[in-house]
Amino acid sequence: MTTYTVYKEQLPGLFEKWSKLYALHVPAKLREGFYDLVPWKRDLEIAWDYDVAYNSAKRFVMPPHEALISYDRRTCEAAPVFEAPKQILFGMHPYDVKALNQLDQLMEGGSPDQNYIRRREATVVMAFEPLTVSSAAFWASVGAASVAHGYDLYWTKISPASFMVEVGSVRGEELLLMNGALLSSTAGDKEGARRAKARILAKARKNSLRYNWEETPRLLAKCWDSPLWRRYSQMCLACGSCNTVCPTCYCFDIREESDDQLDTGVRYREWDGCMLESFAKVAGNHNFRPKAQDRYRHRYFRKGKYIYDKIGELGCVGCGRCVRACTAAIANPLKVFNELWEETAHEY
Amino acid sequence: MSTKLFSPYVPRPVTLVEKTQLSDFVTRFTFEQDNGKPLAHKPGQFVNLSIYGIGEAPFSISSPPRRTKITFEIAVRRIGAVTSALHALEPGTKVGIRGPYGSSFPVMKFVGKDVLIVAGGLGYIPLRSLLFYQLRHRDEFGRIVLMVGTRDPKERIFVDEIAELAKSGEVEVMETVDMPDSTWKGNVGVITTLLPKVELDPANTFVAMVGPPIMYRFVIAECRKKGIASEQIFVSLERKMKCGLGKCGHCQINELNTCIDGPVFCYTDIEAYQEAI
Repeated sequence: MTTYTVYKEQLPGLFEKWSKLYALHVPAKLREGFYDLVPWKRDLEIAWDYDVAYNSAKRFVMPPHEALISYDRRTCEAAPVFEAPKQILFGMHPYDVKALNQLDQLMEGGSPDQNYIRRREATVVMAFEPLTVSSAAFWASVGAASVAHGYDLYWTKISPASFMVEVGSVRGEELLLMNGALLSSTAGDKEGARRAKARILAKARKNSLRYNWEETPRLLAKCWDSPLWRRYSQMCLACGSCNTVCPTCYCFDIREESDDQLDTGVRYREWDGCMLESFAKVAGNHNFRPKAQDRYRHRYFRKGKYIYDKIGELGCVGCGRCVRACTAAIANPLKVFNELWEETAHEY
Repeated sequence: MSTKLFSPYVPRPVTLVEKTQLSDFVTRFTFEQDNGKPLAHKPGQFVNLSIYGIGEAPFSISSPPRRTKITFEIAVRRIGAVTSALHALEPGTKVGIRGPYGSSFPVMKFVGKDVLIVAGGLGYIPLRSLLFYQLRHRDEFGRIVLMVGTRDPKERIFVDEIAELAKSGEVEVMETVDMPDSTWKGNVGVITTLLPKVELDPANTFVAMVGPPIMYRFVIAECRKKGIASEQIFVSLERKMKCGLGKCGHCQINELNTCIDGPVFCYTDIEAYQEAI
């Protein structure tokens, strides 16, 4: 493992260099308790202690509205549209990197999604060990406290003025050394990083599943008919907010828009959500998930079982964004899974 | 990074060569591939058809696989934006297609066996691909029993073709309508009422069925009553298949993606899925 120690005063110089090559996004406070990754500019104060970016990073690799093809109606010809801005996502928390890794697997598997792959390849991920935990988060208990891959650099704050940076890719190392040589981390720096991680992990464990997260698919398999689905979903507004903020929700609709002459146009994809009423509706108005209960249950099964059965990880990384976004206060994977666990506890 | 501009979302052009009205709302469309190659599909697969400026929608392929012909057929009910635009097209017009996509009826499993084909409503459209594939290789199969159920006589499609099949003696054809009018002389009742009327050798019979969502559980129950095992029953399920690549999420049946895991499923493989049937 290659690690370097970087001092805070070295950062502006590096950011300056990077921002000439890449669109550089860093965590910043938008208002009290409300953070996001925003374009870096000189003198911007970086929110090192942000708890969660209200918008997930999926928008950088799969934008809410993304052109897929352009067409000419007159000749019936179509061509792919690729857009892949070079970008650095600085300060991503490990659970968000985990979510990104999951999107990688799902979009690259089977028939590889070229639009996604190109954007992802142009994206440099600089992960950052969190210093604060959102009150709604539970990532430490769903296997998302750390990631083994998916980042180019991994930053851990080890003192008020220094970071230990672990190199995850040659691309990352090259960027890190753009402003001259850096010191390799000492054993003490590494120990500092280990402690920092342990500290945040202890904080993050306060919100936890009451069971080992790997049990979730087996738990759900028993809970299809649980009264919980109706109890919560009867308040669902079917607004899709949970889908929108979720870092692992990637379902999309495909639509198109013609120019004003109706001759040429663009077909694009747009974020869609399985909680929206028409998500599973087909021609002739037959709806395969007509009730909020069907849709609500589907989402939790997808997070807790279907994705797991595919890739061996939970589809929920415990970021807690849906918990904060849900107007009806029913989106809460931690609560849902724990209550289902309680409900079925007598079976263990 | 590869410089070749490939994207699975890009359709290729095909040309409409023939249009035949089958009922008030259903029309058969014959397309020719502009690339000069056969579609090379298997019975039960679908294509995503684009009418630029309107949109894209999935349609089952109705013609059997063809070794040399570069045409293929779909039959479509006029019901939404894309299907209405499609009905308005004249021969010579080009549209885009992607595919063929999805799973198919396991024709090789049917070799040497009897095959019961159950077509409810528009279900005959995809099953026609299987049926005519089998008929081209008629000697490789045992009995072929075709059951066709329609809501009312006016909505029957491929009427002459089905009558021809019955006359040919190659296929045992049974038909019924739910709501007869004064012209109807045949069976009356939902398609399930046909099953008790036929003798089948359960150990030796495979079933292929396509119909409206409500149909499956009843026909499957009748098949099981006759002693046909789940692994001999094949269904094709409809869902909203948008991307056709197992990505967009619309066509999920529990954890299955209908567009890549289906649309044709062996009943054994979906029996346990609550959202399937």
